[in-house]
Amino acid sequence: MRELKLYFGPQHLGMVGNFSITLQVEGDRIIKAESNPGYLHRGFEKLMEQRTWIQNFPLVCRINVVEPDHMELIYSMGVEKLAGIEVPERGKYIRSIFCEMARVASHLFGAWAYANMLGFDTVANWAMYHRDLLLDMFEELTGARVYHIYLRPGGVRRDFPDGFTDRLVKTLHKIGGKVPDYNATFFENRLFQKRAEGIGIVTRKEAMRMGAVGHTLKATGLKYDIRKIEPYAAYDHVDFNIPTRTGGDAYSRLLTIRDDMIESVHMIFKLIDKMPKTGEVYTKTPNPFKWKIPAGEAYVRCESARGELGLYMVSNGGTNPYRVHFNTPSFNNGLTVLEKALEGESISDVGNIMISLYVVAPEIDR
Amino acid sequence: MINELKQKLLANFNDVQVNIPEDNRMTVNTKKESLLSLVSYLKNMGYNHFAMLSCVDWIDDKEFELIYIISAYPQDDEHYQDKEKKNILLKTRISRVKAKFITIISIFENAEPYEREIHEMFGIHFEGHPRLTPLMLERDYKIPPFRKDFDTNKYVENTFGKVPSIKERKEGKK
Repeated sequence: MRELKLYFGPQHLGMVGNFSITLQVEGDRIIKAESNPGYLHRGFEKLMEQRTWIQNFPLVCRINVVEPDHMELIYSMGVEKLAGIEVPERGKYIRSIFCEMARVASHLFGAWAYANMLGFDTVANWAMYHRDLLLDMFEELTGARVYHIYLRPGGVRRDFPDGFTDRLVKTLHKIGGKVPDYNATFFENRLFQKRAEGIGIVTRKEAMRMGAVGHTLKATGLKYDIRKIEPYAAYDHVDFNIPTRTGGDAYSRLLTIRDDMIESVHMIFKLIDKMPKTGEVYTKTPNPFKWKIPAGEAYVRCESARGELGLYMVSNGGTNPYRVHFNTPSFNNGLTVLEKALEGESISDVGNIMISLYVVAPEIDR
Repeated sequence: MINELKQKLLANFNDVQVNIPEDNRMTVNTKKESLLSLVSYLKNMGYNHFAMLSCVDWIDDKEFELIYIISAYPQDDEHYQDKEKKNILLKTRISRVKAKFITIISIFENAEPYEREIHEMFGIHFEGHPRLTPLMLERDYKIPPFRKDFDTNKYVENTFGKVPSIKERKEGKK
C-alpha cells in the first residue's frame, strides 16, 4: 500500500488546542507521527528576564490556559526558595485548597474536551457548566475567572471572604451529586468504553523509559505524585490516596483522571476542616520595584493536574530573574510519549489519544 | 543517603565537585568530557527519570551552562523511598563560541525534544541528535533568541517596525 503524509493540523475537529501532528499513514494506520508545536510560542521565558520578580505573574499564569494556578504556585515556590521566604500556616492551607479547586476545574475541562471530541455533547455541557460553577467561586475569591494571579511569593494575596468555605463545600456537593450521572452517561457507558479501551497503550516500562509523568504513569499503576513524594503547601497535613489503574490505555487514563478529581474534592473537605481558623495569609515582601533577590539557583517541582511540573530558576542578585525555565508535563508527554503512543493506531483515534495523554499546547510552547 | 551518593561520585569520578545546598537537592559540577559517563552511572544507580535539560547563558564568562536534572521513579507501588525525593542537577560548561555538545538520547530517550529546544533557542549543536529541526520558531534568527546578547526590542523594531502604515503604502512606499 502507498504511504501518505497527512497533516493533522490545528484546524482539525479532533484536535484540541493549537497543535499539529504530521502523520505518516498507510491506509488508516499510522506508521510514524511527528509532533509539531509552536503555534503559541510567545517567548515567555525570555520576556521574564526583563521584568521584575512580581511583574512576571501575569505572564506566568498564561503559560497554561486551562490551569494557570499551578503555574503561579510553582513560580511563587521558586521565588520563595531563592529569597528564603516562609509561608504562614494558614497561607499554606489556602494555597492547597486553591490548587485543588484548580485541579477539579482543570479535570472538568479535560472531561469536556474528551466528551466533546467523541460526540458526547450532553456530558460536555455538564462538565462545562460544573467548571463554570467553580469559576464563580474563583471569581468571588480573586476577582477573575480564569487568570487569577492570586498566589504570590510569601503566601496568597488575600484571605478567604466570610462564608466562602461554606459556599465552596455547597458547590462541590452540587458537582459531586452529578457523579453517578457522569458515570452512567460517560465513564461507564459502553459506547465510550468501546471507543477508548485498548487505545494508545503505554506500558509502565515504556512510560518510564520515555520519562512520562502524571496520569500516563498513574494509569500503569505507578503512584508517582509529587504531592506525596515531596510535599509542598499543606499536603503533608492531610491524608489522601493516589488513584491508579493498571490498563495503561486511554480508558484507564481517563478513569484515573475521574478518580483524581473525586479525591481532590474529598481533600478540599479535609483541608477546610483542618485549616487554622485565623492567622496571617502572607509574609510581607519588600517593595516589588526594588526587590533584589540574592544570587543563586533553585529547582522546585509540584504536581499540576497534568503531572510533575518543574521550574529551574537562576538569579544573579538583580531585580529580575536571570533565567527561568519551566519543565511542563505536556512538553514531555506531547513530544515524546504522544509520538510513540500514536504508532500503529488508527487516524480516527488521534484526538482520542492526545486528549487522554492530557496534552495542552500552550504549556509546550510557553 | 545523599552523602553516600556524594562519596560514591567522588570516588568514581576525578573532576567532579559535589554540593548539597539543601536536603533533597544535589548539584554536581563536572567537566564536559565526563558528563556522559556520569549520566549513565546515575542511571545505573537507579536515578532513572530524566526531568529536564536547561541552559543558562553566562555571557560575562563567555560560557553556556547546561543543566541536566535527574531524579528517580518509585521502585514499588506502595511505598516511597528517600531516593525519589532527590533531584540531581548535573552541570557542565561549554564554550560560547564553539557551542557544541554531545546528545544523551542513547541514555535517556526523552532528552530529544529538550535538546532540540536548546538547539533552537541557544544555538548549541548536539552531535548525534537525529533531528535538530526547528521546533517552535518560524523565522530565521541571526542570534538565537534566548542568548543574552539578543535584543528583543531591537529585533521587534527591525522586523515589525519597518512595516509601512496604510497611508504610507497608498503613497507608494513598500
